[in-house]
Amino acid sequence: MNLSQYPLLLWPPAASAIAQETDWLILAWTALALLLVAPVFVGMTWFAFHFRAGRNVHRGVREGRNHLLEVGWMVIPFVLTLIFFAWGARVFDEDWHPPAGATEIHAIGRQWMWKFQHPGGQSEINDLHVPLGQPIVISEISQDVIHSLYIPAMRIQMETLPDRYTRLWFKADRPGVYRMFCSEYCGTDHSKMDGELYVMKPADYEAWLAHAGTADSLAAEGKVLFSSYGCAGCHLPGATVRAPSLAGVYGNPVPMADGGTIVADDSYIRDKILDPDARKVAGYKQIMPSFKGQIPEDRLVPLIAYIKSLGAPNAEPNGEPTP
Amino acid sequence: MSGAAVPVGIEVAEHFQDANQQRHAAVFGMWLWLATELLLFSGLFLVAIVVRVMYPDAVTAVALHLKFWIGATNTAVLICSSLTMSAAIELSRLGWRRGMLACMLATASLGTLFLALKGYEYWRDYVEHMTPFFGFRPYVLSGDRATQLLVDDYFIITGLHGLHLTTGVSVLLGLAWIARRPSFLRHHQHRVEVFGLYWHFIDLIWISVFPILYLLNR
Amino acid sequence: MSPSDTALRDPLTPRPTLGRPDDYLHSEHTLRSWLLTHDHKRIGILYLLSITFFFIIGAIAAGLVRLSLIVPNGMIFSNDTYNRLFSIHGIVMVWFFLIPSIPNTFGNFLLPIMIGAKEVAFPRLNLLSWYIFMVASLFTLADVVIGGVDTGWTFYAPFSTTFSSAWVVPALIGVIVVGFSSILTGLNFVVTVHTMRAPGMTWFRMPIFVWTMYATSLIFLLATPVLTITMLLLLMERGFHIGVFNPAIGGDPVLFQHMFWFYSHPAVYIMVLPGMGVISEVVPAFAQRRLFGYRFVAYASIALATVTFLVWGHHMFVNGMSEYASIAFSIMSFVVAVPSAVKVYNWTATMYKGAIKLRTPMIFAMGYVGLFVVGGITGLYLATLGVDEHVHDTYFVVAHFHYIMVGGTSIAFLAGLHYWWPKFTGRMYPEPWGVVAALFIFIGFNATFFPQFILGYLGMPRRYHEYPPEFQILNVLSSVGATILGAGYLFPMIYLVWSLRFGDPAPANPWDAKGLEWTIASPPPEHNFARVPQVDFEPYDYSEREQRT
Ligand code: HEA
Ligand code: HEA
Ligand code: HEC
Ligand code: CUA
Ligand SMILES: [Cu+2]
Repeated sequence: MNLSQYPLLLWPPAASAIAQETDWLILAWTALALLLVAPVFVGMTWFAFHFRAGRNVHRGVREGRNHLLEVGWMVIPFVLTLIFFAWGARVFDEDWHPPAGATEIHAIGRQWMWKFQHPGGQSEINDLHVPLGQPIVISEISQDVIHSLYIPAMRIQMETLPDRYTRLWFKADRPGVYRMFCSEYCGTDHSKMDGELYVMKPADYEAWLAHAGTADSLAAEGKVLFSSYGCAGCHLPGATVRAPSLAGVYGNPVPMADGGTIVADDSYIRDKILDPDARKVAGYKQIMPSFKGQIPEDRLVPLIAYIKSLGAPNAEPNGEPTP
Repeated sequence: MSGAAVPVGIEVAEHFQDANQQRHAAVFGMWLWLATELLLFSGLFLVAIVVRVMYPDAVTAVALHLKFWIGATNTAVLICSSLTMSAAIELSRLGWRRGMLACMLATASLGTLFLALKGYEYWRDYVEHMTPFFGFRPYVLSGDRATQLLVDDYFIITGLHGLHLTTGVSVLLGLAWIARRPSFLRHHQHRVEVFGLYWHFIDLIWISVFPILYLLNR
Repeated sequence: MSPSDTALRDPLTPRPTLGRPDDYLHSEHTLRSWLLTHDHKRIGILYLLSITFFFIIGAIAAGLVRLSLIVPNGMIFSNDTYNRLFSIHGIVMVWFFLIPSIPNTFGNFLLPIMIGAKEVAFPRLNLLSWYIFMVASLFTLADVVIGGVDTGWTFYAPFSTTFSSAWVVPALIGVIVVGFSSILTGLNFVVTVHTMRAPGMTWFRMPIFVWTMYATSLIFLLATPVLTITMLLLLMERGFHIGVFNPAIGGDPVLFQHMFWFYSHPAVYIMVLPGMGVISEVVPAFAQRRLFGYRFVAYASIALATVTFLVWGHHMFVNGMSEYASIAFSIMSFVVAVPSAVKVYNWTATMYKGAIKLRTPMIFAMGYVGLFVVGGITGLYLATLGVDEHVHDTYFVVAHFHYIMVGGTSIAFLAGLHYWWPKFTGRMYPEPWGVVAALFIFIGFNATFFPQFILGYLGMPRRYHEYPPEFQILNVLSSVGATILGAGYLFPMIYLVWSLRFGDPAPANPWDAKGLEWTIASPPPEHNFARVPQVDFEPYDYSEREQRT
């Protein structure tokens, strides 16, 4: 479907189960809201007419306070609205936890464009192609200011922060072309930082990947970078420097010099590369230099993907032996 | 007029019903003002404490560069000034104008002494390259960005405190100038008390600054 | 006098005044006597003039924003111009119109009178506060208009500290300084309420307007210092590259959002509480009925002022803040709706069995309740996590806050302005024109902002200079509505000025209303009360209605 053919759109297309649930949520909410405010609207109109000054109607009331009434209209609406708090929180919780086996796509935001990197190494600018029915996690990071990746058809958005990974996931269940926006104000061309999301049948997606694809996967690209930035010089066995082996680091707890442990995730590895002094690993002398300002954001992605691939023994790209 | 007591009181402004109401309003107003000031500073203290919890090493590194002895001396100086200020208030209640003026001037000079020491400390900081916000001067602890945040916080807190103290000294001198007139205490004695609250507050802020910045992690 | 009298007589014959010549307006005439006045009433009028000026500036910017959005491709203004326009609009409307609007005008004028005092506690501080306001606001205005600030009213870091135009520095200074004006006013009000009440004026004999002023002042005192510090840190980062918010130099990018909203969420209650106060005066007066559940309404004001400090995170649901924090902020936002609900239902109940006169202030007040409810309920939609994930930073939010701030507070401002106009000026406004203006505003308002709810749900992000073509029809509708709304605002500006000379002289109590302000002449004498009043009656003491059928 092509949205711009609709001269007047009144309800956005919903392309995932969660999107549909969000629609139901807001509709049901509106029903309750109407119920709660009906006494106000009807009451005011009717009183203004019925009790208008100069009209002879019965006006005697008991003075004094009606506690039951007052507490009642405080508590009952509140309790009713809590239903929607809970429902909303449930949807949010679902959006917070991607299912296992989701495909991970990296998004890098910068003034004023998006760059997406597929696991197979393909990258695209502003537009994004995804397969139908497959959960997709988008891991976002910004190179400059705060942006926000927003896909109305999925009813979801997530801010893209500098220096920190955030993520969002969805599972598209209707093929089509949908809009994506940057929804956090980021300067001059904020409104042009948009693109299109192509939800394709898996077969079409494979075809697209093959077409757009570079031969190298992300992790393979990362392996090249790993040597070219000199990481290999310290981290491969046989190096003269004593540095931890990176095999199996990803996803596992790492003991810290100050006590405590940290589970090595994307952010941890990224921090380690850019600011190795911040969190020191127990048992090593910290001599790793900071690569801040030397490795651009879109090269960190393959580097991390490579280190990650070392973590899962079977996923070693190109069948090379683990260092 | 050799130290003889003069009558003490408040000239009731037109819109107040009596002196009590006026005094109450003035004191209460000053308390509220100080409450907002306290909130202002506590934001900055919070930054310092958060940095301390998150990056203890950085804090230690910075604390070693701060001039502990100047800070300690300054604390003593300010405590003394609070004493002389209290004395001034007490004397104003008794109507001993001369004594009160002397105590006010002593307070102001202690305040100035504090500022002078603080200025010297800033200069030492500059010499020791502890001024990360001057782009043209290399910063000693440049490796660690958490220290920079703390040092900057240090400058903001002490700068803001210095600003308050400077205001305090100026107002105090102005007040002393007006109070030199014999009729002052008869009409405006409460001004000394209200000002005293402010002065004690500045003192109190420093007494919190000192442990938070200088003592912790030393 | 009935409306028909007004219509029949020659509209351009000046009417003589009723008030004695020694009222506060006529006691002195020089410009100097205004600029150096310590009279809280005159200071209230000074504020009234200033904020009207700022409203006009903000409205022109809004008009230009709506003009630009008529076309989807943004060809009317350049992208940077558009960004500056909505920044001017937001900054001016929030800091220089809405926050000071009701507290500094009506509050200054009425608060001392309502509690039976001759003045606020610190008259000179009050004047100082006005000067600070003027200096800061004119300085900022010059800066945003000549220089151009393109950060929006929220100044999000690291954008504001790195890429935005350098004019953001003076704008921040302006916002810091104007904060001191708010603090001084708040301080003055709190002290006045605590120490200056007339004999017999116990806390629970104070009108709700005074209660809301008190609650607002508390927020001024507690929240503004946080804003000052935040802006100061922003300045430090921008000016001296001190890393606080920008991760590139060692800061934390979401810290700013926390600090900003810790102030700015309470600030939205600074904007709404005074409006609620006005409505709580107007509705009983035109229903001739005691305010229903007075104590609950009073407590609700204080409850709002407290709970409001616990919900700031609802502006940040999608910035990666921890899931549990989001859930906690969400439920607190549901809690904070309860005191508002109490007020709305109590106003409705007040009308029950009243003797209702649909005069302009009452029409505005009823419009207020309707629009505020829509704005409030949609606020709860936003507090619902699953919904906010979708509509955050879209026009849905824009519509939400305009319903509350324009449909709510600005309309309450107009209600109060008409209600107390006789008291302020000693003249009646022309009733039929008031009704016409109210209708224009009500229709124009809904036409402007209702389509924005749909736009938001469709996914149109806010602060967008260009937008996809399928959104155009709704945007055009909104712009047409804005024109009607703008015309609606123009009416009062004209007829109120007209009434200053040609309006009917106002009696002391034209509405048959209760409250100390109606016991003194219109306009009030210089020192309000010849003798300090003894208060031995309850608030909203509207007597038996049976006789008044
Ligand atoms: C005067 C200003 C004002 C007021 C009073 C409010 C009141 C409320 N606001 Fe609003 N808000 C703003 C001004 C205001 N807001 C602004 C300016 C923004 C955007 C800032 C920006 O990003 O630029 C914003 C944004 C905003 C957001 C963030 C949206 C986003 O960016 O994603 C949220 C989310 O929770 C929210 C919620 C609420 C809630 C729950 C209330 C509640 O207090 C409302 C309570 C009122 C009612 C509920 C109505 C009356 C009740 C009844 C008729 C009875 C029914 C009873 C029940 C349902 C219990 N607001
Ligand atoms: C008190 C607060 C207040 C008030 C009264 C208003 C009043 C209005 N606002 Fe405002 N608005 C805000 C507070 C307020 N706003 C805030 C805080 C923002 C967020 C800013 C940000 O994102 O940082 C905002 C943002 C905002 C936007 C979103 C901009 C964007 O995100 O891109 C829009 C768009 O329609 C808008 C419209 C209006 C309109 C039509 C009015 C009307 O009520 C105004 C009535 C007056 C007129 C309609 C003028 C009529 C004149 C003409 C139509 C002719 C125009 C031509 C010339 C002047 C030559 N406002
Ligand atoms: C000069 C030698 C050196 C170089 C070059 C180097 N490192 Fe390191 N690295 C170390 C040492 C030593 C440690 C452990 C010290 C510590 O963390 O306190 C370490 C730790 C790490 C860790 C954390 C390991 C764990 O067990 O948690 C990661 C991830 C890492 N390095 C990645 C890289 C990458 C990617 C590069 C290249 C861009 C690189 N390193 C370059 C020496 C080096
Ligand atoms: Cu990127 Cu807005
Ligand atoms: Cu809020």
